[in-house]
Amino acid sequence: MSDGWGANVPLGDIGGRVAIVGVGESEHSRASGRTPTEIAATAVERALEDAGLRPEDVDGVMLGPGVPDQLDAAAFHGHFGTSHDLWESQAGGGMRWAATAPVPAAEALARGDASVIVNSFAVAWATQRGSMTGGPGQMHAEERFKANLEVPFGWFPQPVYFATIARRHMHQYGTTEAQLGAIAVACREHANATPTAVMHGRPLTLEDYLASPYLAEPFRKEDCCLISDGGAAYVMTTPERARDLDRPSVEVAGVGLGRSHTGTHWAQQGDFTSTPQAFAGPAAFAMAGIEPGDVDVATAYDPFTIVSLMQIEDLGFCPKGEGGAFAQAGELRVDGGALPYNPHGGMLSHAYVLGIAHVVEVVRQLRGEAANQVAGAEIGIYGGYTGPEAATLVLRRNAS
Amino acid sequence: MTAAGFPLPETDWAPTAPFWAAAADHRLSLPRCDACGRLVWYPADTCARCGGADHSWADLSGRGTLFSWVVVHQQFLPQYEPPFVTALVAVDEDPAARLATRLLDVDPLAPGLAVDQPVEIVFAPLRFPGVDGEVTAPFWRPISGA
Repeated sequence: MSDGWGANVPLGDIGGRVAIVGVGESEHSRASGRTPTEIAATAVERALEDAGLRPEDVDGVMLGPGVPDQLDAAAFHGHFGTSHDLWESQAGGGMRWAATAPVPAAEALARGDASVIVNSFAVAWATQRGSMTGGPGQMHAEERFKANLEVPFGWFPQPVYFATIARRHMHQYGTTEAQLGAIAVACREHANATPTAVMHGRPLTLEDYLASPYLAEPFRKEDCCLISDGGAAYVMTTPERARDLDRPSVEVAGVGLGRSHTGTHWAQQGDFTSTPQAFAGPAAFAMAGIEPGDVDVATAYDPFTIVSLMQIEDLGFCPKGEGGAFAQAGELRVDGGALPYNPHGGMLSHAYVLGIAHVVEVVRQLRGEAANQVAGAEIGIYGGYTGPEAATLVLRRNAS
Repeated sequence: MTAAGFPLPETDWAPTAPFWAAAADHRLSLPRCDACGRLVWYPADTCARCGGADHSWADLSGRGTLFSWVVVHQQFLPQYEPPFVTALVAVDEDPAARLATRLLDVDPLAPGLAVDQPVEIVFAPLRFPGVDGEVTAPFWRPISGA
């Protein structure tokens, strides 16, 4: 009940209480005919192998809320041929939940409900493409305020929402199309250095970007994320158990969650050119005891170039309104930038698996094992975003 | 599932029915909080500004400013043929309330628009190829000479 457009959602202090001990990804691809469940199972298999754990060691699974065909407890048992007790939570998966899953995981670990928890997420939206069925536009088309007040006027779907935000950001702060292009090009260069990226081997220059046609002006195709089949998973346990595993691990240092009061009604969001990272970031950094300047490698959920730009500003990596100039100066590049950003290529150029692969990437960066490695990275973040909510996850390399 | 007639609005859906009934009458009407006088848009049980629960639909001038706009070149919906200009308009009476709309009297390939320029409402039939029926809807256009 105020003129504020959103707020921080307080979370328990879980700093140092969860370790990530294994990560895995499926193949990421264009339409492949695979189901999300199969994709998630492959990712979990690889994450367990990475952690040196067997399926029987897992006693907790997390998956995304309201997303069909994920790897729940029954699907886990079906895939691995196991039948033991499994704690299950639907407060995991991708998007902002890929950042906040460690919070319910920490609670389950503390209660003794589980000791090894795997969070996974997968989509087969490339396979399902062709209609809005199951795709990213469907829930917006079905939401009745949108269906009655936005869709009739063609203000739909996500590329249109965020192109509208980009135009306003340009007006407010002087952001340019070439600055948005700098984000797309940096992410593509990073994907070109990442063999598992969907856009590996497909270069993009700023000239290519500017010469390409508009899709929803001011957006071009390369401002928009891919549509992919793929998934990923990460394994969480207590710091004590992590030490026993004798594998490289990272600690969850901080988590923050922010919420916009207008939900997915972007048309009415009070601060139209900001994201709820403005509320999530400070809380996560405080829990971790760090400042934005301490972050060595950053990733964020990037459905569109402008969403990267706004989150980089809202997380305090540069002053509000200067994200465009920051990107244009090359600061997002692994090669010499102040804030190496989405070093795997992000959803723009790696794969649209809704952020779960970003967390995997940060873990690999902090273990020094990434394909496009940021030298000496010790602290990394993932900015998760769903529109109505955003969350920040701070990960720190464990001293070995 | 989307409603029959999609992407036409369901003019009988209670929360927005008065908006569409007013449009049929060539009026722009939005709910206003009885307590603080701010517009409650989109319609909600309580006012986001003051928490007031009593709201009355109020006729507005049909003047506003162009909050932001997009030229749509890609066909996102089979019923919606590009190119066209879709926009958010901030209404003069309470610019925090924004209406999604399609701009009329603008060439999508040479729109010549500026953020925050004044715009005015124009009522016209909304219809889609392959969809039965039409609905009178509030569109907006630049104020000529502005």
